Amino acid sequence: MGKAFRELIHYMDVTAQVIKMAFMTIIEYPSNIAGWLISNPLQFIMGFAIIRFVVESFGQINGWNYGQLAFLYGLSVISHALSMIVFVQGWFMGYYVIEGEFDRYLTRPLGVLYQFFFTNINVIGVTDLIPGILVFIYGCVKCGISVNLLFVVKVLIILTGATLIRGGIYILLGSTSFHTRSYVDFGQYTQEIIDKTTMYPLSMYPESLQFILTYLIPVGWISFYPVSDLLGMNGDLNGVIIPFITLGVGILMMVIAGLYFNFGLKKYESAGN
Amino acid sequence: MDTMKKYFYVIKTQIIKSLTYEFNVYGNIIMQTIIMITSAYFWRALYKDRGMVGDVDVDSMLTYVILSSLLSVLFITNVERRIEMSVEKGTVATDMMKPINVFGVYFAEDIGNIIALALQNMLPILLIGSLMIRVPVMKDIHDLPFFIISVVQSFLINWLVAALFGMIAFSAVNIDALIQVKKHLLRLLSGSIIPIWFFPGSISKILGALPFVYIYQLPVSIYIGKVDRAQQLGQLGIQFIWLVILSVIFLHAQNRVTSKVMIQGG
Repeated sequence: MGKAFRELIHYMDVTAQVIKMAFMTIIEYPSNIAGWLISNPLQFIMGFAIIRFVVESFGQINGWNYGQLAFLYGLSVISHALSMIVFVQGWFMGYYVIEGEFDRYLTRPLGVLYQFFFTNINVIGVTDLIPGILVFIYGCVKCGISVNLLFVVKVLIILTGATLIRGGIYILLGSTSFHTRSYVDFGQYTQEIIDKTTMYPLSMYPESLQFILTYLIPVGWISFYPVSDLLGMNGDLNGVIIPFITLGVGILMMVIAGLYFNFGLKKYESAGN
Repeated sequence: MDTMKKYFYVIKTQIIKSLTYEFNVYGNIIMQTIIMITSAYFWRALYKDRGMVGDVDVDSMLTYVILSSLLSVLFITNVERRIEMSVEKGTVATDMMKPINVFGVYFAEDIGNIIALALQNMLPILLIGSLMIRVPVMKDIHDLPFFIISVVQSFLINWLVAALFGMIAFSAVNIDALIQVKKHLLRLLSGSIIPIWFFPGSISKILGALPFVYIYQLPVSIYIGKVDRAQQLGQLGIQFIWLVILSVIFLHAQNRVTSKVMIQGG
């Protein structure tokens, strides 16, 4: 017990140092910070605008009005931002495999997956977080949600779960590089697919697609199911349990992803031989 | 003729390079297909119980989705990353010493890449799209020449925009963020995700004056017969004007960055 605790303290210590370093690195290229400050919010302002235009042209989407869609989108963007901060490296795993970059991690006395994500922590992802929170607040106001402790706790649990689901998907896709030995950046595509399926209510899609997105690729749990519950859009599911399902799915995804990553890592050969 | 030959070598090498990684190809096809099919479902769901929205029916919209997926393969550019890499690693100086225009090489590389992608990605996407969504038939076959002209022009506009963004690397060195800005602008303002005729009138008017709409939306609108002949000619004209403007800016920028590198080199 004492040993595990000391280890945890050690990891937390390292994390703090690493975050400090990450801040140093991002201020290395000032024009780049400016770029991210424009680029990331821009992306979400656009997403927000698109939803607006779609609603204006087509009316309600499957019974969801603009405010409810904003709520859905906001929550989805926040979990996207969180996953960008911690897990975005998963997108570039192929590069690390091809260039033999895992050598460095393998020689250090810390978990490889931990090092991979945390020594490359993406502080700039905060620029995604702010627009997400703004959209979410807008959605809350539009839907007339009374914010109480239960609501906040639910949202936090959902966000944790949703972030883990996204992270799990990135790791799973990234880990394919160990087997294919190719540098594939599926990140952009993955994001586009997840965006498309989390921005709008899943119920608008045909049942077969809903099934896939609920059970096989559990994207539905990132935003659609929890938000339907928070907004009371579906009566048949019990409310308190839903956030925990999201969390459970997230943890499950992470475990599967971690196992698959470790399985892949065994096949990893350093660049030297 | 000799110079052309050099560029053909670059194109050939790039095609071979692009064909090396099989998994990339399959992966990309699968991903692009999923995106296309979800978009198709998306529009189907929106159009449920509705006939025409924005003067377009659901079938045209599905054709729009397939066409836009196909065009997106054509509009993959690597020039911005290529410039960034060579500036960051300093290889740009040696690139420029070669007896061949460095931007010409980048262009030839992108052409080579696209030829490889056209064979590997566009055909499967077209096939899957036809089977799973609908056969994307052209509304009026007489528009074909105009469609082809517009695609060629949009390809060039798209490449020039990418190259111009890439050139910022000569002063900023790291342009990852700017590449993202460009990507988002292009995705939204070009009508590749959602046609701008769904935007409010004033916004779509402003966008009509910018080059982005002429990248995706114009060729696809011609294909689905959304614009009549007179409008087509007018828009092709604007597209051409943008092509000229961007080419002039490009040539000017090219001279500037070349002289800058020369100075740094001593």
